[in-house]
Amino acid sequence: MIDQIIQMTLNLDMPQMSVLEWIITLGKFAFVFIPLAFIVVMIFMERKGASLIQDRLGPNRSALPVFGGLRFFGFVHNFTDGIKLFTKETFIPTYAHKVWYVVAPGIGFLVAFLTPAVIPWFAPLTWWTGDHISQVSGMIIDSDTGILLMFALSSLSIYGTAMSAWASNSKYALLGGMRATAMMISYEVSMGLSLMGIFLLAGSFNLQHIVAWQEAHVWGIFVQPVAFFVFLTSMIAETGRAPFDVAESESEIVAGYHLEYSAMRFGLFYMGEYAHIVIASIIIATLFLGGYAIPFVSTDLLRAHVDIALALCLGGLGTMIGGFHLMVRRWKKVYATMGAKDAGTRNREYSFLQFTSGVASPVVLALAVAVFFLLNPMAATTVDGTPIFPAWVSIAAAAVQVVVLIAKAFLFCWIWIWVRWTLPRFRYDQVMSLGWKILLNLALVNLVVTAIIAKLVTGVR
Amino acid sequence: MAKVIQRRSLTLLERSYLWEIIKGMGTTFKHLFRNFKNPEKMQLMSYPEVEVQTPQNYRGSHRLMKRPDGEPRCVACYMCSTACPARCITIEAEPSSDPRIEKKPRKFEIDWLVCVFCGLCEEACPVDAIRMDTRKVAISHYTRKEFIADMPRLLNWDPKDFPANDAQSQKAPGGKQNQQAKQIWGLEVKHS
Ligand code: SF4
Ligand code: SF4
Repeated sequence: MIDQIIQMTLNLDMPQMSVLEWIITLGKFAFVFIPLAFIVVMIFMERKGASLIQDRLGPNRSALPVFGGLRFFGFVHNFTDGIKLFTKETFIPTYAHKVWYVVAPGIGFLVAFLTPAVIPWFAPLTWWTGDHISQVSGMIIDSDTGILLMFALSSLSIYGTAMSAWASNSKYALLGGMRATAMMISYEVSMGLSLMGIFLLAGSFNLQHIVAWQEAHVWGIFVQPVAFFVFLTSMIAETGRAPFDVAESESEIVAGYHLEYSAMRFGLFYMGEYAHIVIASIIIATLFLGGYAIPFVSTDLLRAHVDIALALCLGGLGTMIGGFHLMVRRWKKVYATMGAKDAGTRNREYSFLQFTSGVASPVVLALAVAVFFLLNPMAATTVDGTPIFPAWVSIAAAAVQVVVLIAKAFLFCWIWIWVRWTLPRFRYDQVMSLGWKILLNLALVNLVVTAIIAKLVTGVR
Repeated sequence: MAKVIQRRSLTLLERSYLWEIIKGMGTTFKHLFRNFKNPEKMQLMSYPEVEVQTPQNYRGSHRLMKRPDGEPRCVACYMCSTACPARCITIEAEPSSDPRIEKKPRKFEIDWLVCVFCGLCEEACPVDAIRMDTRKVAISHYTRKEFIADMPRLLNWDPKDFPANDAQSQKAPGGKQNQQAKQIWGLEVKHS
């Protein structure tokens, strides 16, 4: 039986894939880890954002034991937190259902690995191999179900929540789980409906097509501002963050569904929440902010001038390092006036950071200039007036597009943090009435209006 | 006189909630931007590297006062341990070698893990033997045992940390050296 299947697969009339195509196709799976990589930065961002909003400095005490302690302004806390979570006692309450209790935290976290599969990270790669055109899609799963698959996967995470709530056999956890489930049911509806407008305009569920449509016409946020608002609100509610964190409201039900969890099991919930935010940010950036597309620059234009794009990216990085250098210099002066006992140690660290960033910044800027002058993207051939470039140009352009998408996603990650540290928590009934009475109606009206306008303007579909 | 405050009804813009959210987010962003731009203007102190200046009358951890001859001033009357709501003072008395004083403590222990720093012991003491003016509140140790302050620890304080012009906070009078007591109190301690 299995032999037959393998035989059938091998006999399929598949186009022969070159080594480079194989490498890229398999290498794309690395994008699965992008939400995880984001988490590290996101937790740091959350802490610093929160502390600066509240007029304080935020945690900054754990240090790497080199050069008399490198604190990196608190970035090291991520790693010490990780060590703490991994080495704490993993406790299972006596009356918990052992199996579901252990399995539940993994579900929400697992989903974070699955959803990046349908996101277009870059425009489809096309390059001229010498005798034919190779093509690799920018998504891991290039399927026309696209966003629907993503919704299906991301709503699976609620099973983890509900299961953990039920399995921990605690009243508070159960209440939290019920609330999370109710929220998810009410907000999923308006979330899906709010997107119908943009599907209508793009004419596809495939995220790649939606981005291509935005690249060719205009960003989704300009044609669908209402949908953007509804979707953003529903997404914030979906991730269960303030002001919609009724599921874990510590003033009423202690910590909600993860009340009975400790150590890394709790850590999985914690990281799952952040991963969910990252995924949501990437999805919003893809749907409403043009995804990987740079405004007014089509993919072909980007490929033709990939040297400029790379130089600009590197230049931006160099400028950011330079900004960091200035910031450290400033803060060094401030700290010296505080009269702290450890002023010497800190001064050494700040001098070290100042020196490294002071060297790195010009080096990166010089690299940017070198890239601009040395690289020279030339079209290898032309098909129907469209220039086809060699492989390295396509890959470099794809790298730039990934950077653009990540930058846009960061913007939304910041909105999540910003909203959380601004707004107080809604009451449970307010959350429900906002979801059912306002957002759902807005989404429906938006769909109808979009449909009418699309019919009037384009006259087809 | 009671003052009636009329509740202002919300305007349409305020009731829409969205505008107020944007205003609130503006406020938080203003804070973020200001603190990022001028970190030195933040009202903060890099504790514990920077010493916090607490006022002299701040109620911190305890110390036992001494007589001029270095003996504890405490007369083991158990007033403080009776007054203590947390029951964290343990005293064991023994006869005093000074003929004018009946008892002195052999053991005097305060469990700082149990203490609620209410200051009632300080109030209760009839001879001003226990004080809470060390201004030390951050007590941190690795074992529970270390949190129990015994008599040598309570007696071990540096007169330099306390105001020099306040003689009473330096050394409690009494005991054998009447001359010194006279200097500080201005009166002699009577022999029995
Ligand atoms: S401060 Fe209060 S609780 Fe602490 S020892 Fe004195 S009386 Fe007891
Ligand atoms: S410290 Fe004061 S109240 Fe407590 S036993 Fe000694 S003399 Fe009495």
